[in-house]
Amino acid sequence: MNVTVEQLAKGVLLVVEGQVDMHTSPELRGRLREALERKSTPIVVDLTKVAFIDSSGLATLIEALQAVGKFGGRLRLCGLAPAVRNLFKLSNLISIFDIRETREDATK
Amino acid sequence: MAHPVDLVFHATLPSDPRLLLFVRTLAGEGASAAGFSDDERGRIELAVVEGFTNVIRHAYKDRHDQPITLRLRAPVGSFDLQIEDRAVFVDPAKIASRPLDHVRPGGLGVHLMKTTMDVVDYRKNEFGGTTLTLSKRVPGGAS
Repeated sequence: MNVTVEQLAKGVLLVVEGQVDMHTSPELRGRLREALERKSTPIVVDLTKVAFIDSSGLATLIEALQAVGKFGGRLRLCGLAPAVRNLFKLSNLISIFDIRETREDATK
Repeated sequence: MAHPVDLVFHATLPSDPRLLLFVRTLAGEGASAAGFSDDERGRIELAVVEGFTNVIRHAYKDRHDQPITLRLRAPVGSFDLQIEDRAVFVDPAKIASRPLDHVRPGGLGVHLMKTTMDVVDYRKNEFGGTTLTLSKRVPGGAS
């Protein structure tokens, strides 16, 4: 898995590539923590190049969602592949997260 | 390309999270060999990764050098995988997911396995550990 971070004029963009699982989610958690420390919102997580996320990855995103809420910030996800979107549905999280179709929409 | 024989795999792997990509790929190939759709393949991959992860995290308490035996059989029409550990057997009644309306990190693995597979079965094995069986049949397919 690879995560690149880009500071936007307004907010932070994280572009994730690869598989997010028990092995790789600590790296994503670390990058999200760095983004949270900037207190710059929205934090946008682009999952376009992620073909697979498991419950470890979901837990990481839930942690970030709860952390960003503590300072009144926003977390947005975008680019969910069908299998990833299906995981959010199975976990009853599809309405909990702010999910946008495209990066352009998420970073507005 | 046609594959004339059932996909069968049997190996003992270390409880190393770096192997999750391999485990997912194995599950996916088995699902495709059995004739599942791409959507169903993704669900089976998810269930298998959750099962393997649970063994590392809960049975072996994040020790990464313990044995996990995988037994896969994927003839046309069905997918059957056993994940066997040599830790302490856990009463299946105590293996539960969190309520879905309690949004917090963790506790979703068992729920995801149960919602994606036809059979999720825990049995005590000859080593005193747990054998998790994950099975699924192709809807309307051959058995």
